[in-house]
Amino acid sequence: MWFGIGLAVLGLAVGVLIGLNVPLVLPQAYAKYMSVAVLAALDSVFGGIRAAMEDHFDNNIFLTGFFSNALLAAGLAFIGERLGIDLYLAAVVAFGVRLFQNLAIIRRYLLKK
Amino acid sequence: MNRPIYFSIAAVAVILGLMLAFQFRNTSSISHSVPYDRVQELTIEKKQLEKEKAQLDDEIDDLTAKLAIAGKSAGEANIALRGELEKTKLIAGLVPVTGPGIEITLSDLLGETGAGNASTSYIVRDDDLLKLVNELRGAGADAIAINGQRVMATTEIRMIGNHINVNLARISMPYKVTAIGNAEVLKSSLEAKGGLAEYLSTLGIMVTIQARERVAIPAFKGDLSFDYAKSVQKG
Repeated sequence: MWFGIGLAVLGLAVGVLIGLNVPLVLPQAYAKYMSVAVLAALDSVFGGIRAAMEDHFDNNIFLTGFFSNALLAAGLAFIGERLGIDLYLAAVVAFGVRLFQNLAIIRRYLLKK
Repeated sequence: MNRPIYFSIAAVAVILGLMLAFQFRNTSSISHSVPYDRVQELTIEKKQLEKEKAQLDDEIDDLTAKLAIAGKSAGEANIALRGELEKTKLIAGLVPVTGPGIEITLSDLLGETGAGNASTSYIVRDDDLLKLVNELRGAGADAIAINGQRVMATTEIRMIGNHINVNLARISMPYKVTAIGNAEVLKSSLEAKGGLAEYLSTLGIMVTIQARERVAIPAFKGDLSFDYAKSVQKG
């Protein structure tokens, strides 16, 4: 358990370092999709943490959820842009609500411990 | 907890870190640069202006071509007008001309007149010159001059005292009339039996007619001003 958390923190640090040092810059046109994707990924991660707290963590569900949510959110935002609807707002609201729910459950588990 | 879970956690953490970093850099670069919407707006504007510029360039080409054509036709019209002007000047007698023709000299036979009236020797009168000019014109002379004065549409020939004025210039004996035209025709019309030459001879004027290969007739040198006559536009 603690090894996993350490691994996660280490991975996060490595990812941030790589992201900050890679000379590649995402075009501003895609910033909107990226933001929604980040939100979805964050939601998946917190969902995973919550599942781990509830002891029914499933690696496959976690992995597929992480990627499909991110891609789906970005794709939804993209389609919304094409259709002239701010669909990314829906993604922001949905993932935001879930994010806070997950955070609340995690907080309760941490308090119970 | 087995290995794949750690692996997936590590992978997810790295990817999440990457995404966060990217997004962070992106938003920070947005904050101190032009907003995306503004860029899009300006890009669209630029595209429109480029299109407009292309259209205007096309228009420039078109108009330049038209201008060239117009300039060419103006040049042609100019040449035609100049040609017409030259022709009109030639007909009016404003340019010196040369060509085959005849030269007629009229002079008194001082003291050689018969019939005993030597005291009142005949002098050449304006009538005689007018008749001569008339005859030459009738015979198809192109250009006529009397003592270097071009005979044209407004030319007068009249007696002032003992002299004759042509083109308001005083001329005196001997009168030399030059005419450009068919020398044979001109000469024969004057020398016909009972013609002008014979008539003048009987008045006591010596008439010499010479055909010339080349006669030079000067241009009208006086002032040409139409103070009263105005042209009437037809149509």
